[in-house]
Amino acid sequence: MATGYAWFLVLGSVFLCNLMKTLLPSMSSFLSKMVQKDAEQESEMRTEIQEMKKEQSSISMMDEFARYARLERKINKTTDKLKTHVKSRTAQQAKMKWVVNIVFYILQAALMISLIWKYYSDPVTVVPSRWIAPVERLVAFPTGVAGGVGITCWLVVCNKVVTLGLNAVS
Amino acid sequence: MESGEASDEKTSSVSAAQRRAEIRRRKLLMNSEDRMNRIVGFAKNEAENNGASRRPTEPRFHLDLDRTEPWSSSSSSPRPSPFLPEASGFGSRSHSATPERRGSPLPDCGEPHGGSLEDDLGGIRQRPRGERASDDISGSPRRGLQKYLSRFDDAMKLRGQLANEKPAQDGGSDSEELDPFRIFRLIGSILLAIFVRVFVCKYLSIFAPFLTLELAYMGLSKYFPKVEKKTKTTVLTAALLLSGIPAEVINRSMDTYRRMGDVFADLCVYFFTFILSHEILLLFGSETP
Repeated sequence: MATGYAWFLVLGSVFLCNLMKTLLPSMSSFLSKMVQKDAEQESEMRTEIQEMKKEQSSISMMDEFARYARLERKINKTTDKLKTHVKSRTAQQAKMKWVVNIVFYILQAALMISLIWKYYSDPVTVVPSRWIAPVERLVAFPTGVAGGVGITCWLVVCNKVVTLGLNAVS
Repeated sequence: MESGEASDEKTSSVSAAQRRAEIRRRKLLMNSEDRMNRIVGFAKNEAENNGASRRPTEPRFHLDLDRTEPWSSSSSSPRPSPFLPEASGFGSRSHSATPERRGSPLPDCGEPHGGSLEDDLGGIRQRPRGERASDDISGSPRRGLQKYLSRFDDAMKLRGQLANEKPAQDGGSDSEELDPFRIFRLIGSILLAIFVRVFVCKYLSIFAPFLTLELAYMGLSKYFPKVEKKTKTTVLTAALLLSGIPAEVINRSMDTYRRMGDVFADLCVYFFTFILSHEILLLFGSETP
């Protein structure tokens, strides 16, 4: 009937899924950093802008207006380039986050469906039915085994407990 | 003597002038609302033909605001009537409008004053139905516009609140706050589950002690410090507010939903601990010779 450690397998799967969910943001930022090729260019542009601003602050606008204006134009051009770069990086990060989330939720759904498929007719554990009266039918759904704990009830319980536990820890 | 008489005449003329000025000022103030109504299109003749004085025009806007009160309870901004110089919001009812009009003793105003102040108020509050219907027809576009504007204001406010709360929600995700009472409840559920598995489950259902525990929690909740939970403005609450449901009803429903969530969490922890302790006891029972 019930596999010996089915309850532990389901608990472990739910714990893993919830743990991955909490780590999703850091995973997506890590992946976007790996995919991004021209990350150094951005830091170079920032350094360049800082240096140009430093140089500009040392120039007197009254005495060397042409040079000042030339620097100002360069700063503006580089700043615009940097803004475009940042915008594209942000868009790429958002896309990566979206892809990671979608993949995760698909995998999670597949795992849950496979668990439900496997334990559709077998309860994860069995206890004497009088212990869980009067809701033994609800608890045993969809197995129909008297005193059994069905996969759906156990999934809901584990999900709630693991969420509470991870919230308490984090 | 003559100078005394002259000064008396002067003072009397000054006081008469002052009185006339006061009368003129009051007349102007009283007539301002009437002028606005005429500008808007409410004809004086219609009011007179219907047997209503000019005074009930001002409480019409108050009554309209009263009608829209269930919609605009706590979350909406008060939108005062644009035609009332003294209107300051929903708090202003008919008794707060143009005090100069109330029981005006001025004989020069030229209006048919209907008896005493209370009669006027009674007339304001209990208009005849035919008059109300005609007023509704003429006032419904303005009322509809006011209603639309107040709802638009509230929608903008809620949108702002949602935008502010979205970054916080993105960062925090669905983390539930664990206040001391909640922690106490969870620990109590765990301990009870272990106790029930070891001693009680052979005799009765495991849910009976759980229900007793929840009843005990209800009584113990008042001894714990109450944590003020900030009501989050979500898309659902914003949609409910905009659809006309009062904010208090929404708050109470959310509070009830939160309490049910707490009980469900306790039940999940209790059942999980019971099954876990059952499996551990079975494991140790199978291992011991």
